[in-house]
Amino acid sequence: MLEIGPIFRSLMRNKTGALLIAIQIAITMTIVVNAVFIVYERSQKMQRESGIDEANSFYLSSSGFGSNFNAKVTITEDLAALRQLPGVIDAVQINAIPISGGGWSMGLKTQAGVEYDGVGVAVYMVDEHGVNALDLDVIAGENFTATDVRWREPAQSDWPNDVIITKAMAEALFPDEHYSKTVGKTVYINDTEPMVIKGIVDKLQAPWVGWSRVENAMLSPEHLNNDATRYFVRTEAGQRDAVMQQVETFLAERHTGRIIRGLNTIEETRARSYRGDSAMIKILTTVMIVLTVVTALGIVGLASFSVNSRRKQIGTRRALGASKGAVLRYFMMENFIITTVGVLVGAALTIGLNIVLVEQFDLTPITWYYIPVGMLILWLVGQLAVFGPASRAAGIPPAIATRTV
Amino acid sequence: MLQMTDVKKVFRTDLIETHALRDFSLQVDEGDFVAVTGPSGSGKTTFLNIAGLLETFSDGTYELDGVNVSQLNDKQRSRMRNEKIGFIFQGFNLIPDLDLFDNVDVPLRYRGFNAKERRKRIEQSLDLVGLANRMKHLPAQLSGGQQQRVAIARALAGEPRFLLADEPTGNLDSTMAASVMALLQDINARGTTIVMVTHDQVLANQAKRNIFVRDGQVSELSTGAAFPNAAIA
Repeated sequence: MLEIGPIFRSLMRNKTGALLIAIQIAITMTIVVNAVFIVYERSQKMQRESGIDEANSFYLSSSGFGSNFNAKVTITEDLAALRQLPGVIDAVQINAIPISGGGWSMGLKTQAGVEYDGVGVAVYMVDEHGVNALDLDVIAGENFTATDVRWREPAQSDWPNDVIITKAMAEALFPDEHYSKTVGKTVYINDTEPMVIKGIVDKLQAPWVGWSRVENAMLSPEHLNNDATRYFVRTEAGQRDAVMQQVETFLAERHTGRIIRGLNTIEETRARSYRGDSAMIKILTTVMIVLTVVTALGIVGLASFSVNSRRKQIGTRRALGASKGAVLRYFMMENFIITTVGVLVGAALTIGLNIVLVEQFDLTPITWYYIPVGMLILWLVGQLAVFGPASRAAGIPPAIATRTV
Repeated sequence: MLQMTDVKKVFRTDLIETHALRDFSLQVDEGDFVAVTGPSGSGKTTFLNIAGLLETFSDGTYELDGVNVSQLNDKQRSRMRNEKIGFIFQGFNLIPDLDLFDNVDVPLRYRGFNAKERRKRIEQSLDLVGLANRMKHLPAQLSGGQQQRVAIARALAGEPRFLLADEPTGNLDSTMAASVMALLQDINARGTTIVMVTHDQVLANQAKRNIFVRDGQVSELSTGAAFPNAAIA
């Protein structure tokens, strides 16, 4: 028979140790549940797909110098040569690299005029090879053709006639329409300049991984006439590293009036961009483990002390008819009651801390089921921690009851 | 009720063997009141522990209420202790964090009685020892004699057929000791078999039978002064 009532009354008469453990459990639950939620969110964020072929892509910078350097000619020839290299699927000049942290953003509007709000969008300037080089899926409309692509001069501020946008951007601009129906519609950039949506790509993330509108991106059909430029190269599967080694020398030798640098894989870029999140996950995981272990040790300590100081009492219970199982259950139940107080207080504190985190750091409110799952885990930790001391208690012989020392 | 034949108990360490009981034989009949005396180290407590199923023995046979206890596992022994034996300890062995009600309740819970039945038995047994009005008191709020009365109430609540008392008056002054002894005699008169281990020969003489234990063996049997007609096994 469970002895909930007597155990509870007994604990109420000797509350200090139990209360300290309950507080420790409450604090552990508060921190661990919120930390688990943050870790989950961060890891979900890190696992988002950028939309490009990350495993087989890399990029590099080419910076021309000297009065003889002709950017247009060099870029055109470089791209033609790169696309011919064995192992290369496609290459493109690009103004910014997805998930790299640096890029160019604009606002697109469905109505012309400064009085209308725009939707923020990351701008990638690419030619008709951009879709293939980035490995994007055109899910509505079509890709650019060579005739759509223009050269943007350094001081030029106007925009081409056509644009390809991501599905997420289409849905943000036209929330009431299916994305496929937005092909052919006109949107406005720079408040009043019209661009016609030529195609929709399934997915392409912006360069800024922490941006709330990271899925909003557009492709603008243009080359940049700049001495300093960036090439994005997609290789056949497994060829990336070999191609990277060749390309640096290949481009440097093709034109000596420039510097080739900044050779990076997208995988390296992803790791760099998510370094903060990754560090946060590691730190929080360590804190969670340490806290849980310390709490478990606290439970073991309290239970061991309780068993050692109640040996005679346990022997008496055994003499009065308690089986080993009954003694084991007694201590497990005692811990369950302490843990229950801890997790109930912890549940309230968890919600409280989450409200503070949401208000102060703009985090997402915790999903409700994290709290019962957290309670369940701490109950389990408590029961596992107390099992050793409780088993020792169950092993105390009943003959202890008649010993006078 | 209790039949021990040639019971041996040997405590072994790596270096020595101690024979606590040697061919210990004793019969206690239903309704008996036996006082066990003997010098320190004679084996009184070992006998009490074995009789109360608190300890196992090395050899011999022991039947309690017709059951050969050497065949029982730990769980069965616990059940038998709970159902058939009531214990009264020298140090009372009350649980200090529990009030009198909960203390008396301890063996009843292990018995599996429902709450109504337990309450009835607790009230009856505390009433029997004159402490029904102090059910919500803690043991520390009572005198030694009152604590021992609570321990007796706890032992009686399960209505055992066999009461084992280990120096029940050892920690009490003479007035309280006399009162506890009177209570035990009253309980015995109601039909409960009692075996009492004591150092106090005056107290022992108030039992129906006296057993003197020396070197782990029953060395002397005699009738007690208070019950001159009691039979010797």
